Amino acid sequence: MAKKTAGDGAAEKEVDPELTARATAKAVCDGDFVNFQFLFSPFSPARKDSPERFESEKFDHLLPDGDCQVAPAFRAALEVVRSEAVWGHIEQELEANRPARLPWELLLMLADNAVRLGKYASAAQAYELLRIRRRMQAVFFEQADAALEQGAVKKAVRGYLIATGLEYDYAGFPEPLPDVPDFQTRALMLHGEYPKTPEDCVALQEPAAFLRTALGYLLLDAGAAARIAERPVDTQVAFLKELVHQRDPEWREFVHRFREACDMMRDLGKRLTRSTKEDGDGATLAEEIEEQLGEDPRQVPALLTGRTVEGGEWWQYMKELAYEHPAAVLFVSRQLVGEVETLVPRYRADSPVPRELGLVTGAAGVHP
Amino acid sequence: MADAETGYVNYCEILGVGEDPKPGEVRKVYRRKMKALVGEIARVEITQERRAHYLLEMAKLNAALCVLRDTAAREQYWNERKGLIALEEQWRQADGAGSDEADGLRRKFDARVRDFLSKYVEELMLDAGNDKECVDASHWDTAHERHAFRILRHYRHGLYQEILERLPYAGVTRPSIDWDERSRLAASILAERG
Repeated sequence: MAKKTAGDGAAEKEVDPELTARATAKAVCDGDFVNFQFLFSPFSPARKDSPERFESEKFDHLLPDGDCQVAPAFRAALEVVRSEAVWGHIEQELEANRPARLPWELLLMLADNAVRLGKYASAAQAYELLRIRRRMQAVFFEQADAALEQGAVKKAVRGYLIATGLEYDYAGFPEPLPDVPDFQTRALMLHGEYPKTPEDCVALQEPAAFLRTALGYLLLDAGAAARIAERPVDTQVAFLKELVHQRDPEWREFVHRFREACDMMRDLGKRLTRSTKEDGDGATLAEEIEEQLGEDPRQVPALLTGRTVEGGEWWQYMKELAYEHPAAVLFVSRQLVGEVETLVPRYRADSPVPRELGLVTGAAGVHP
Repeated sequence: MADAETGYVNYCEILGVGEDPKPGEVRKVYRRKMKALVGEIARVEITQERRAHYLLEMAKLNAALCVLRDTAAREQYWNERKGLIALEEQWRQADGAGSDEADGLRRKFDARVRDFLSKYVEELMLDAGNDKECVDASHWDTAHERHAFRILRHYRHGLYQEILERLPYAGVTRPSIDWDERSRLAASILAERG
């Protein structure tokens, strides 16, 4: 690989081909679609007609560090970059005065690495450019379904997360882009209308309906959820349990706080029963919450989120909860207390899901 | 429809009429099809997917009526469509022959195909929702329009993708994919942490 020099003597620029090769291999190894495209852009430090240089501190991130250079994925990528055909193409594209045509071998390798690293947006963009995104989704769905048939739920969930992670939003503005998890928005849509009856609460839906809602919400894809909904209920529950944990590795933190919130609600329920018996007066749960929690009924959502938001509205707590623990919003509902609307924990005692997720202990659990 | 025409919305095909229909025939077929569609919508339980499907079907019929009942509008639409199909073919041939003109034709085609799909999918379908004849037959209202924005943009990009699939590669060299290797790779990725 010969060094390239700019023709202009005064502003002569040398591009070290070794740096170009290593930067390209790093982008491939990292599954970084943005950096990969940048290396071929008009402002790339790899172009001799660009004023930018790899030696500049601002491009440190493009070059591999010591750990990266010994990684097998980096070495594999570097080998492909250095192969005669690919390197010849890279040199040709960096010298051409037109939009570059990226080498497909490297782009495919980049996309696969991105999938391995969970960088689904990057993988989706690379597969989309190769025009194989939809078919790759189908391949991952196929493998995931096969794993589910064999009872390998972890593999199956991983396959579904990859396949749905490769989804594209063709209605995006101004140009289509990968669809990304936006649980904060979806949670608000899920709780968009105030529940007037228990059936209106997501958490209190019939188990079959709840599973459908939960799978659709967590997979971010109604079509993928429908594939799982065709399976037996125990398979759906096992899938949902694994899905919750893979989406949220910190789920146990929420479980602990949810149980505390349930204890608070249960205590209020007992007081309500007692006061009704003693006074013969039909106070509502909302009235009891208002009385017990004084002027701030937001103690319950603060307990659920583990953080107090000054003057926080229910939807602020909901968004925070959805961001930290996406599945948590499936087990809460809106509740009007006096003039303040807040969030309270909710679940169906006859549903297997809360028990499987550790939200309740004992045989039947308690319905707060 | 021939493969080379896939993706270029064909309102004659949507309405099920010939390429040069009389306005009376267009109206008659439109009313029959819309009545059947509205009847079907009233009979089924509306889910999120069905709502999107029926809304799109309704928008397509409305747009077909608006563009086909008017001779001048129909001729303009038909000429633009035919011109675009011819331009695609011209670019494909230039690209296949390695001609220097290929890149210029690609840019020209890309701009025109986006313009065609915006005009005859999104804009026409939304405008048709305000047409009195369409509103009377389909009961299209502001709620339909609100949902339609996203659905129509999605449909437009779907058509663009259908066209893109058969075009020469521009931003990347033509890949050679071994789908058996892809399946094995997917299985190995699932097994890595599975």
